[in-house]
Amino acid sequence: MSDPPTSEPTLDELREALRQREARALAMGGAEKLAQRRALGVLNARERIARLFDPGSFLESGLLAHSIREADRERTPADGKITGYGRIEGRPAACVANDFTVLGASSSWVNGRKIRHLKQVAARRGLPIVWLGESTGARLPDVMGAEAMGMADDPAQYRRLRETPWAAAVLGHCYGSSAWYAAMSDFVVMRRGAILAVSSPKLTALATGEQLDPEALGGWKLHAEVTGLVDRVVDRDEEAIDAIKRFLSYLPSHSGEPPPVAERFEAPDADALARHLPTSRRRVYEVRKVLAAIFDRDSLFELKADYGGALVTALARLNGHSVGVLASNPMVKGGAIDAAACGKATAFLVLCDSFNIPLVFMIDQPGFLIGVEGERRGMPGRVMNWMNALSLVTVPRLAVVMRKNYGQALLNFGGGGNADETLVWTTAEIGFMSPEFAARIVHGEPTDPDTERQRLEEMARSTSPYALAGIYAAQHVIDPRDTRALLLHLLEVHRRPRGGVGEHRLHNWPTSLA
Amino acid sequence: MTTRLLSPVTGVVWKLSAQPGTTLMTDDEVLVLESMKMEIPVTAPHAGRLARLHVAEGEAVNEGQLLAEIVSENG
Repeated sequence: MSDPPTSEPTLDELREALRQREARALAMGGAEKLAQRRALGVLNARERIARLFDPGSFLESGLLAHSIREADRERTPADGKITGYGRIEGRPAACVANDFTVLGASSSWVNGRKIRHLKQVAARRGLPIVWLGESTGARLPDVMGAEAMGMADDPAQYRRLRETPWAAAVLGHCYGSSAWYAAMSDFVVMRRGAILAVSSPKLTALATGEQLDPEALGGWKLHAEVTGLVDRVVDRDEEAIDAIKRFLSYLPSHSGEPPPVAERFEAPDADALARHLPTSRRRVYEVRKVLAAIFDRDSLFELKADYGGALVTALARLNGHSVGVLASNPMVKGGAIDAAACGKATAFLVLCDSFNIPLVFMIDQPGFLIGVEGERRGMPGRVMNWMNALSLVTVPRLAVVMRKNYGQALLNFGGGGNADETLVWTTAEIGFMSPEFAARIVHGEPTDPDTERQRLEEMARSTSPYALAGIYAAQHVIDPRDTRALLLHLLEVHRRPRGGVGEHRLHNWPTSLA
Repeated sequence: MTTRLLSPVTGVVWKLSAQPGTTLMTDDEVLVLESMKMEIPVTAPHAGRLARLHVAEGEAVNEGQLLAEIVSENG
């Protein structure tokens, strides 16, 4: 027996060489950059992954990938985008975490392949994808010139078919890749201080000569209040990741199964409803307090709270079962629906229908908010997008008329057969428009009191809930406090066959053209 | 810090609920607008003193019009 020649390494030596490479990759962009982030209270990509997945469950795919360019090989650990699989509260999921310390997590040929593979696996296996975004955009100089531009070869790169839920966090500068994937996701949470835009303020200023405030270009206020691209805003990375975990807890892992059922739930304080609902139809109220008295305690998870505020969209639970709640909020614009609220409603229908979540409409609306501002934003298109989406929905739709329900918007909220069942509260009032307006539109301004009275009589019709129930356009007239019990019963009645899985006719609806 | 309260809707000032100089808590009612046959309260987004009212009862207002200014305690 003689020692092996030195040219043939032992398995132990090979393993040691592997461990060294792994350690260099795990060191990311270096101690100095990581320390700078820590000083700012911002998590790094691997800390974010650790927060997202159950302890010990993360399996990385492509730790030893690096730049295709010889010159960048040593300084591109994992090529700046960390991909892999893990478990979130026991359920499997996939993740792409941008490592900003590695060339700004810029998009490259190799990390593009990592993302493509992960998306294919997630769609085939039925895994939600979590996008932890912080990236500068396309990598330079890799992408320069006609040859590089011509090398893109993934026509499905930006195709969204909603096979599985996508949730994105905007956790720093998000341009290019991380902005695109956030815009394509079903849920987006943004940390205050982060920026979401097509290009950086620096490049934008170079291109247009415009000096820009980054917050104005893509800050949280813009996206929470004006664009509606962001569903929730938080102050810390940890809160953003926790929001994603909570969002996913309402959704199935993929479109082919029903949502998970929460094992523990508590009924709300039903008496609170009477305290928060004024019976005077002129008085407004905070609908969130009314909803809290109907759905499982602490189960409301609101999306886009500061966008199109005349509507509240929230995931919630009834006896542990996920439902999507689309509710009027009379506190904002008297519940009159503007262009932003239309887009918000459509996006919410798409989300719930794609992932088998039954819908509950809670209605108190005086009509669409008419006026120049709405028309400038293409109101007819937005109203009809909502109608079209609603007519394609295949999950159960239960409509609850709380108080006012007027005009065309009545159809958008499930009237005219667009809901599986309609419940009308004793406080409800249903009609097309006020008799005063109708008389003036047909006859012009009133001339004398007698004529005015006659004209009003001609237009006046019953707006009573019993009139609606009398022709069987509503199936139930109920005391508001009986809503929870009846919704629970009706969800059983209308549960879809095939385990509650719908047909997903909205699965390829654009993610932000609402 | 001064916060400018803008009208959330086009409508009419139905009622002034607070007078200049009043100390307000978060969510206290400043005034009530009437629009779409509804009474729509405009409330203080944070605690402070009502520094100025820019509208009177019965006045028509447009969406985005300045209604009042609130100065916060520390500002």
